[in-house]
Amino acid sequence: MNLDARRLGRWIERRLGNPTSAAAPVPAPGRERIAIAVLAVLVLCAAVAPLFATAYVLQLATDVLTFAALAYSWNIISGCTGYLSFGQVSFFGIGAYATSVLVLRAGLPWYVGALLGSGLAGLAAALLGTVMLRLRGIMFALGMLGLARILMVVAGNWDYIGAASGLTLPAELTPIAVYLATWVAVLAAFGLNAFILHSGWGLSVTGVRDDEVAAAAIGVPTARIKVITFVMSALAPAAVGGIVAWNRSFLDPPSAFDPTLDLQVIVFALFGGIGTLWGPALGTVILVFVGEQFWAYLPDLQLALYGVLVIAVVLAFPGGIVGIANRLGWLRRRPVLAPAVFPVVARLPRPALQGGETIIEVRDLIVRFGGLIALNGVSLSIRRGEMVSIIGANGAGKTTLFNAITGFVKPSGGGVFYQGKSVSDIPAFQRARQGIARTFQIPRLMESMTVWENTLLAARYGKRADQAVDQAAWALQTVKLDGLWLEPSTKLTPGQQRRLEMARALALDPTVILLDEVMAGMTRNEQGEIRAVLRQLRGFGIAGVAGVEHVISAIADISDRMIVLDRGSKIAEGPPDAVLRDPLVIESYLGKVS
Amino acid sequence: MRLHANQGGKTMLGGNFLGRAGASFAALIAVFVLFAASAAQAQQPIVIGASVSQTGPLAVDAAYHLRGLQLGVADANAHGGWLGRKIELKYYDDQSNPGTAVRLYTRLITEDNVNLVVGPYSSGISQAVAPLMNKYERVMPAPGASLPAIFAPGNKWNFQLLPPATGYLEGILPLAKSQGAHTVAILELQLGFTLACGQAREAQAQALGMPIIYGASYALPQPDFSSLALAIKNANPDVVVLCSYYPDAVGIAQALHRIGYAPRFLSETIGPAEAEFISALGPIANGIISNTSWWPNLKTPDNAGFIARYKAMFNNEEPDYHVAATYAAIQVLGAAVKATNSLDQAKMRQWLLTHEVETVEGVFKSDANGLSTKFGQYMFQIQNGKRFLIWPISQAEAKTQIPYTGQ
Amino acid sequence: MIILQLVVNGVLLGGTYILLAQGLNLIFGVMGIVNLAHGAIITLAGLFTFWFATKTHQSPLLLLPPVFIVMLVVGGVLQRLLLEPLARLGRRGELLNLMVTFGLSYVIIETGLNLFGSQYVSLPDLQTTWAVGGLAINEALVAAGVLGALISGGLHLWLHHTESGKALMATAQNPTGAVTCGIDVRRMRGIAFAIGSALAASAGVLLILVIPLSAPTADTLTILSFVIVALGGLGDYRGAVMAAIILGLVQSAVGYYLSGDAEVVVPYLLLIVFMVVRPQGLGRATR
Repeated sequence: MNLDARRLGRWIERRLGNPTSAAAPVPAPGRERIAIAVLAVLVLCAAVAPLFATAYVLQLATDVLTFAALAYSWNIISGCTGYLSFGQVSFFGIGAYATSVLVLRAGLPWYVGALLGSGLAGLAAALLGTVMLRLRGIMFALGMLGLARILMVVAGNWDYIGAASGLTLPAELTPIAVYLATWVAVLAAFGLNAFILHSGWGLSVTGVRDDEVAAAAIGVPTARIKVITFVMSALAPAAVGGIVAWNRSFLDPPSAFDPTLDLQVIVFALFGGIGTLWGPALGTVILVFVGEQFWAYLPDLQLALYGVLVIAVVLAFPGGIVGIANRLGWLRRRPVLAPAVFPVVARLPRPALQGGETIIEVRDLIVRFGGLIALNGVSLSIRRGEMVSIIGANGAGKTTLFNAITGFVKPSGGGVFYQGKSVSDIPAFQRARQGIARTFQIPRLMESMTVWENTLLAARYGKRADQAVDQAAWALQTVKLDGLWLEPSTKLTPGQQRRLEMARALALDPTVILLDEVMAGMTRNEQGEIRAVLRQLRGFGIAGVAGVEHVISAIADISDRMIVLDRGSKIAEGPPDAVLRDPLVIESYLGKVS
Repeated sequence: MRLHANQGGKTMLGGNFLGRAGASFAALIAVFVLFAASAAQAQQPIVIGASVSQTGPLAVDAAYHLRGLQLGVADANAHGGWLGRKIELKYYDDQSNPGTAVRLYTRLITEDNVNLVVGPYSSGISQAVAPLMNKYERVMPAPGASLPAIFAPGNKWNFQLLPPATGYLEGILPLAKSQGAHTVAILELQLGFTLACGQAREAQAQALGMPIIYGASYALPQPDFSSLALAIKNANPDVVVLCSYYPDAVGIAQALHRIGYAPRFLSETIGPAEAEFISALGPIANGIISNTSWWPNLKTPDNAGFIARYKAMFNNEEPDYHVAATYAAIQVLGAAVKATNSLDQAKMRQWLLTHEVETVEGVFKSDANGLSTKFGQYMFQIQNGKRFLIWPISQAEAKTQIPYTGQ
Repeated sequence: MIILQLVVNGVLLGGTYILLAQGLNLIFGVMGIVNLAHGAIITLAGLFTFWFATKTHQSPLLLLPPVFIVMLVVGGVLQRLLLEPLARLGRRGELLNLMVTFGLSYVIIETGLNLFGSQYVSLPDLQTTWAVGGLAINEALVAAGVLGALISGGLHLWLHHTESGKALMATAQNPTGAVTCGIDVRRMRGIAFAIGSALAASAGVLLILVIPLSAPTADTLTILSFVIVALGGLGDYRGAVMAAIILGLVQSAVGYYLSGDAEVVVPYLLLIVFMVVRPQGLGRATR
């Protein structure tokens, strides 16, 4: 392999770029059922076999399961939600202590203690999550690491739970009980992962991971989702922590909050395939077995080998083992809620609504970014039944205006009103749910989802599963993307990406759609296709459309009204031909003629 | 984030399903076979099993622990072995991790079927492994465990091969008092044996009528001792006692020096016995007093021979008390095996509870719970970059230099 | 008097932190590359210095120039091999950078473990403590602080007042724009990482005189450096200096009035509090 960085980069791009062939149809349910049945039998054999083996094998199997439970839980918050955590051991420790104290001091049976400990950790995650999840990227990871250390200090100084001397626990558990209990924890963690990766609700989680901003724009309550997955990621480690503490008959702060536990779990999940359903299991099983054999021969290189493994996985096969398997056609993820064939949905056109009532009103809106004034007291309104174009030279503040209306930018003065009520206290995702849809200037699609799932995510809110499916199908039909419904969204041409953005906006079943430069970079044919969709919008019960545009020729004839912004202020408003001839408008684009 | 490679479009197990299921099943079988390949070893020699921290934070100290075992086994073989059989040492790396050690001892006992076991390094790991010995009914001499709690009444099969932690530095307070010192400061790391040590010294200070005018007890490794040192300087005690490991021994000495304060007596556990201590601190180390359970000049059977053979085997280095402890563990095992003329664990255990064994470390005698009762405690002081035994006075090699100046 | 000494201790501790964090400020603060191997580089350099000084009985300061140069080259090579392929991914690559450097840190730590053991080591040089009007001031700490401040000032001047430094800032803020200005962004990225690693290694050479270092605890230094860089505001040198000193003062006070354990958690608590309350840090740079 040539070491030239450019070629290396392209080589990696090919790998990250989902090199699948054309979409395969979703297979028949019968075959699926046989697959699941055989898998269940295999798993049952694997589960039962260690019970008849030596004590050492049983202990090893228990260790593998313990790591698998931790890896699956890490996968939930770091893989599925995209918040890399270096401190999940915090919940392991909380569970260990909670279980131990409940059993020792309250005399509860240990499995009840483990369940309650798990619940306590979930509660802690809910409280901590509201603070910690505001941190992004590396800061969240470090914050979690710091949390683990803080907890270790607290535990070391709290006499009720044994302080630094720790707790000695009577040897009550048989190895078989421990083994079976750990299986329960693993299955629970696996179940949570399966739920996230295969359910409609779980699609929101993937949306948060891929692009939090776009997710909010299509109605996903990102803050709430993150806290929920954070809580989910705390449950299994806490239960496992309780089981391990009792298995070892001893618990003290360093063993409860042991940071090397996090390192191993991260390597296992990464190696197996982060964010996948089978990755954590595969990674854990393979690496623990390999480890058992190799560390005896190469004790001096263990850490280095882990390090090299991480580097190799990230640079050569970031999808881990599952990623490699995917390329061979195995273990591919099934698109969420995708029916066997694309449902053709007929939608009766609704009568075009006529003018009058104001849907969106912007009053004296001021937006400042530090010293820069992006919008300087702009007032405008979008009325029922009309299509408004907003044009202006670069830097006029058009996108900022949309951002303020949809809730992605906080105004420094003035107000935005939707259907007569102020929206200043309403978060962006709520505005989307109430009916304000938008597209983005540069398409922000969910890159790990197919075209279908991108649209389905927007269609979900407030509908039953079958209704959402219908809505999504209709939206894709309308923009004529139904033929590519199972394609990964990353494989679309720019024109198709724009149309997918529009499909998402339509899937929301909105009252008003804000289109941000939807014609940019489109060929004449593509512009024609989009114009055709725009003309139909009124028939879909969409009360108003506003479009920011540079390609004026494409929208002038279909707009009812045109507004011109220049350097943060509105300089003209009226029917398109009048506005386009206004000398002020011409001057703002072309400059003064002296 | 793009660390995943999720793709829609196909079922979970792909196209040719039976082929794939077959392949995965075969893979599972292969893994189990690989597993079974690490089966029990041949049994002709007597095999002693142990888990040693070859990697991880405890690795440096555990290296001495291992060497003692290796020397002990080599010496025993040189004398014809036990019961007419050669002795082998089988050990794995527990990576300084108690959980791993538990698994490794399970493997040694149930899979590798070792005849005898020796304990791991450090009280923490010994404590994790102790219940296992009760379960499998194996005698385990524990040369890495000074924590008395390990040898509590429920525990019947572990035998301590170090003096109990409560005795560490037990000589400093009487010594200081005899020189006119009065006030004491006690610093302790809240970890197993250091805590036991600290608490024992506190009790001793009270019994001797020496007021403890400053105390600090901390759970985490402290990267910065400047505030602690300032507080000690303020309190101005005559004696400073530190119960902790190597990093703190260095850190506190440095911090006291940087704050420009030198107590009359500065005593620290563990750290000053390590080879690197003196080179790490330079002149600051001079005058520091520390404890040990073994000394080169100790009049124990064949001590000189032990030192000579160690030097021959390990690059002319000097052994320390860790080496002596594990060497003594092998000696104790050998004595029990020969006396009961068997490898029967119950018999060996009974014998060890009722007999004494002379080792290079002193006299092994344990009480009903396996706690050692007769290993001696000694103190040494660093003078001019070398270590000299100063206590008990009857065996002292040099006079104690007072006060501590750090020059 | 106690309070004065606490202040002195705090400032000196802060000086150590400045030295610790500078290389990272360049790599992470300016270039946005999450270098989790930062602490490992510092530690390896420090361990090597210990070995050199004890074997040859020469002053460890002799190592400063060669270590800096060697690490410049090594850093450049590492960046080319491991990080440059990810550079084209932009925002998506941020977490991949993190993982790669995470793996790299373990390779470096293992090298340190194998070559120099797992024990804490320190060097007894620059041990003089001056008594200035009742206050105790230690030579090694002062040296660390002075060097840290010099590096800080030098970096600030270079980044803001020289052509090459501004080119680097341009690359960090907008790679595409930088390319159109004729800046070789690939070379800039390599230079930034090379200099950042070289600074970290140099810091390690000096730090072994100030605090004990050990291979297994290298990651503590990484975390501490990140906290300082984040508290100061990414890429802001004045902010980082302020953050380092404030952290040192708070730790000193907390360690004295509360306990040693409380002192240890101060950086993490401060980080969490700050990231929630004032994410842009103490400095004025906006990002």
